Amino acid sequence: MRIAVDRRRCEGHGLCEGQAPEVFTLDDEGEVQSPFFEADLPGELTGPADRGVSACPVAALSLVG
Amino acid sequence: MTTTTPVPTYDEDIYADEALLEPYEHYRRLRNLGPAVWLEKHGAYAVTRYADVRAVLADGDTFRSANGIALNEPANSAILGCTLASDGELHAHLRQVVAHRLTPRSLRPMKEQVTEAADALVAQLVQRGSFDAVADLARALPLSIVPDFIGWPQEGREHLLRWAGANFDSFGPVNERVEKALPQCGEMAAFGAEIVRTGNVLPGSLGASVLEARDRGEVTTEQTMMLMLDYLAPSLDTTISAVGSAIWLFGEHPDQWDRIREDPKLIPNAVNEVVRYESPISSFGRLVERDTEIDGVPVAAGSRVVVSYASANRDERKWADPEVFDVTRKDAVHQLGFGYGEHGCAGQALARMETESILTALARSVTRFELGTPERALNNLIRALGSLPVTVHTAG
Ligand code: HEM
Ligand code: SF4
Repeated sequence: MRIAVDRRRCEGHGLCEGQAPEVFTLDDEGEVQSPFFEADLPGELTGPADRGVSACPVAALSLVG
Repeated sequence: MTTTTPVPTYDEDIYADEALLEPYEHYRRLRNLGPAVWLEKHGAYAVTRYADVRAVLADGDTFRSANGIALNEPANSAILGCTLASDGELHAHLRQVVAHRLTPRSLRPMKEQVTEAADALVAQLVQRGSFDAVADLARALPLSIVPDFIGWPQEGREHLLRWAGANFDSFGPVNERVEKALPQCGEMAAFGAEIVRTGNVLPGSLGASVLEARDRGEVTTEQTMMLMLDYLAPSLDTTISAVGSAIWLFGEHPDQWDRIREDPKLIPNAVNEVVRYESPISSFGRLVERDTEIDGVPVAAGSRVVVSYASANRDERKWADPEVFDVTRKDAVHQLGFGYGEHGCAGQALARMETESILTALARSVTRFELGTPERALNNLIRALGSLPVTVHTAG
């Protein structure tokens, strides 16, 4: 499972990072970054990833695969 | 037409004064009736359960905002073309113009100014001891920051609150409040249009950046006039409601205020919990684009839907003890009071910053809020106190 991000929608509200800093971080530009946009999520991080995805207020994130 | 599932109906006027004063029992009954309930008085389906509200907000292709936000035609026509009332690609484009200066990153330089304004205001009110938490606090902070930030000229500012209230009233079903509101919405639109015509906004402001986008050809003059409404209408009343409700809730629940004082890091979560518990905007509408189902209830193309953030935020299917105000609630971040998805509130970072700054300043010195008798300000969409006398107690 990976995380998909809709860059056009993300406005850097950072609520994903607040829920799961081990999965999401905001860079200096306020853009969300995650190793798991590219790589598969390890099993132990699917819970936190899901919490971060569902906290995004503009639905910029989703779990895929 | 034959349908297999009978659609539940509800015959009470949920916009009558008594219902606006005590809405939560109506919401509970609507949630228990079904995923979509036909409101006989209003000619629309109410969507009131958390999962359904979230699903409807996530599906903007089926549930459209253009001609859908209000429960009456005149109001829908009046706002057609602003970000709030547009869809699809056009919406995504307008949203970028309106929202790019409202993102947390763009707001970083504002943080100091907002914090200072909140600290100074709170210091002065604590000194006074007794004040009106709505007039002197909840209204005072946004009014000292937001109009300058957006760039409104001085002349006309005295009408901003009246116009904002009228705007939210106008979205209801045709009732006396709507009829009173519509002419005032016309005044507000004329003010926005005049600003675009004359370019009379403060330099460097949000309004100025929208005019620059027009000059670069990114939006038309006509569109620019509508975009001014996105800033005029929702930027004050909403935050004022949240701050007023916060003081009321902390006055009623001193144990929760103690939690905040012990651990001010809870403040961002507390803001989510306030917005969950007393959602400032009770609902917005949508227009159904094609025949669809809401959790098994068939809904035909052309129907109106009332999407109740306030009910979703009290849904016992989603929340443990939804009637309990709990600043440590683990999933408070899931509240839908700022909406969700493509139309999710563009100004929430600013609203959060303002509300958090006030609570942070209060938490430094106030130990207790002693409440007088609150008075509600009735509005078709906004749930807010009109007045809340309070006496604050301090440790020193
Ligand atoms: C506590 C304060 C606030 C609350 C509860 C709130 C609530 C909401 C909600 C529920 C929506 C969703 C609309 C929909 O689903 O159709 C929304 C949209 C919007 N809000 Fe807020 N709002 C607040 C503060 C603000 C502020 C301070 C601003 C501006 C400075 C603002 C600007 C907007 C705009 C422009 C939209 C339209 C976004 C779009 O359609 O893409 N809001 N707000
Ligand atoms: S919560 Fe959503 S909008 Fe905010 S940074 Fe994360 S992905 Fe972006």
